[in-house]
Amino acid sequence: MTAWKETAARRRVLTILRSRPFLTVAIVAAVWIVASFVSRGFGAYGHLRYLVELAAVIGLVAAGQTFVVIAGGIDLSVAAIVTVSAVSLPLLSWQADPTGLTAVLAVLALTTTIGLVNGLGVALLRVHPMIMTLAMATFLQGLLIIIAGGSAVTAENPLVRWLGNARPAGIPAGVLLWVAVSVIVLAAMHATSFGARLFAMGANPLAATLSGVPFASTTLAVYGISGFTSGLAGVLVLGMNGQGYVGIGDPYLLASIAAVVLGGTSILGGLGTYAGTIPGAILLVTITALITVVNASPGWRSILFGSLILGLLLLSGREQARR
Amino acid sequence: MSTVASSRQAGALYWPVQLRRNVGVRGLFAVVMAFLVAYGFLFPGLLTASGFAKFTQSWFPLALVAMAQAILMLTGGISLAIGAMVSLGAVIAATTMTGPLGVAGGAAAVALTGIGIGGATGFIVVKLRLPAIVVTLAGSFIIGGAALLILPRPGGAIPEWLSDLLAGNTPAAFVLLLLIVLLWKLYLATPLGLSLYAAGENPVGAYRSGVPVDGARVAAYAISGLLCTGAGLFVAAQTGSGDPVIGTAFTLNSIAAAVLGGIGFLGGQGTMRGALAGSLLLSLMISVMFFLGFTPVAQYVAQGLIIIGAVAIPQFRKVQQ
Repeated sequence: MTAWKETAARRRVLTILRSRPFLTVAIVAAVWIVASFVSRGFGAYGHLRYLVELAAVIGLVAAGQTFVVIAGGIDLSVAAIVTVSAVSLPLLSWQADPTGLTAVLAVLALTTTIGLVNGLGVALLRVHPMIMTLAMATFLQGLLIIIAGGSAVTAENPLVRWLGNARPAGIPAGVLLWVAVSVIVLAAMHATSFGARLFAMGANPLAATLSGVPFASTTLAVYGISGFTSGLAGVLVLGMNGQGYVGIGDPYLLASIAAVVLGGTSILGGLGTYAGTIPGAILLVTITALITVVNASPGWRSILFGSLILGLLLLSGREQARR
Repeated sequence: MSTVASSRQAGALYWPVQLRRNVGVRGLFAVVMAFLVAYGFLFPGLLTASGFAKFTQSWFPLALVAMAQAILMLTGGISLAIGAMVSLGAVIAATTMTGPLGVAGGAAAVALTGIGIGGATGFIVVKLRLPAIVVTLAGSFIIGGAALLILPRPGGAIPEWLSDLLAGNTPAAFVLLLLIVLLWKLYLATPLGLSLYAAGENPVGAYRSGVPVDGARVAAYAISGLLCTGAGLFVAAQTGSGDPVIGTAFTLNSIAAAVLGGIGFLGGQGTMRGALAGSLLLSLMISVMFFLGFTPVAQYVAQGLIIIGAVAIPQFRKVQQ
C-alpha cells in the first residue's frame, strides 16, 4: 500500500519534472542565477521585481493569446489592441468620475468588442484567423492615427496611475493584477467545461464540432478574451508609462507569441497551458534585459534577441514528428 | 505510334486542365480587369510606354514577394520574415554594387544570401521541426539586425545605368516578371516542383508514396528567399540607394496578396497565377486610392476592410451552399 503510494508520488514528481512549463521555469532560474553572478546588480530584489513587473504586461497579452492558440487560432491584432487601449483611455478621462473606473471599464468594453469582431470574422465569415486579425490590425492602425494623430497623450486617470505605480505590501500593483488574472485563466482553462472545449477544438475542430462543441460561440469567446486581456495590458502599460502613443503596443505581438510557444504550448493548437506561458513571459523579459546589459549596437541587439529565441525554441518548442 | 498518340492526348489534356485550375480565380481575374479599366480611366498614361513601365515597376516587387509567400504557403509553410529579407537584399545590393565586386558580383551576393538564408530557414523548420511562423518571426529579428549591421542608416548606391535599366522608362520589370513566370512553369515540371503540391496537400501520404517531401519544402524556402532578396535588389535600384527598413510593409502585403489570390493556409491549395493576380489587385488598389486622394491613413483603413471582404465573400458563399 505505502509502496504503491510512493511510486505514484514519484511518478507524479517525474511528470512535473519532465513537463514543459517546469523546463521553462528551470531555464529562467538558471539564467537568473548565472546572470546575477556575471552582472552585479542583476540579482538584486529591486531589479528582479522590475523584470517581473515588465513581464506582467507580456503575461497579460499572452493570456489571451494562449486561449486563442490552444483553440487552434492565432491573434496578430494584440499589438494594435494594446495601442488602442493605451491611446483611447486618456481621451475618455475627462469624465466626471473621481476614481477613473468608468473610463477603464469603457476601454475594456471597447477592446473586448474588437476581439469579438475578430471572433465573428473567424467563426461566421470563416476568414482564416491570421488574415482576420492581421486585417484588423491594419484597420486599427489607420483608425488610431485618425483618432490620436502622431502625438503622445498623457493619462490623468487616478486608477490607471495607481495600477502603474502603486506597491501595496512592496509588490507592484501590476504584478498583483497579473497574479489575479493568472489564477482566473488557469482555473478557466483546466477546471471548466469551457476549457475542455478549447482543447478539443484545437486538437480537431471537426471532431469537436461533431461531438457538440459550439464552434461559433467558443471561437467568439476566445477572441473576446484576447481583446479583453490585451486591453488590460494596454491599461497597465499606460499606467507604467504615463503616456500613450501610436506604436506603444508594437513589441507585444512577437512577445506574446514567443511567450506562448516558449511555454510549451503548440502553435498548432490543442496542447499547452498558461502555466508555461507565465515563465515564458519572464524569460523573454530576462533575455531583453541581458541584451541591454551587453550594450551592443541596435543591429547586434536584434540579432541576439532573435537567435536566443530561436535557440530556446530548440529546447522547448519542437513539434512532434508527424509520421 | 502509341507514344505519339498519348503525347498528343497529353497535349490535348493540358489546356482543359489549366482552364479547370482557373475556376477558383475567375472572379478574381474579373475584379482585376475592372480595376485595370478604372485605373486606365483615372490615369490614361497607363497606355503609353513610360506609363506602362512605371506601372509594372510599382507592381514588380510586390509580385515577387507574393510569389515568395505563395510558394511557402503551397507547401504548408509561411514566412513572417519577407520584409526583413527584402531589406537585406536592398542593403547588400546598395553596398556591394559600387564596390570592388561590381554589379555582377553584387547581384551574385544578393542571390546567394537569399538562397542561403532561405535554405537555412527551411532546414530549421523542416528538419528541426519548429513551427514556421515562430521561426520566421524570430528570423525577421536576426535578418533585420543583419541589415542594420551592413547599413546602419539609409545610404549606399546603385550604379546609375542599372537604375535606369530596371526602373527607367523601359519595360524591363515586365520582361523580368514574364521570365520568372516562365522559370516557375519549368520548375513545376522538375521532380522537386512536382512534389511541391503533394508535400503541401498531404505530407504524410506524399512521404509514404516516396515523394521527397522535406527536399521540396527546403527548396521552396530557398527559392522564396531568392525571390525576396531579388525584390530587395529591385527596390534598391528604384530608390538608387539602400535602406535597412525599406521592406517592412512587404510582410503583410505578401500574405494579403497570396490570400487574395486564393492560396490556402493549409498547403496545396491555390495557383501561382492567382497569387500574381492578387498582388496586381493589391498594387492597383494602392495606386487607385492614391489617385483618388486618400490619405495614407485612410488607405490603411480601406485596405483592412477590402482584404477581409475579399477573403470573406467567397468563403461565405461556400458556407451557404
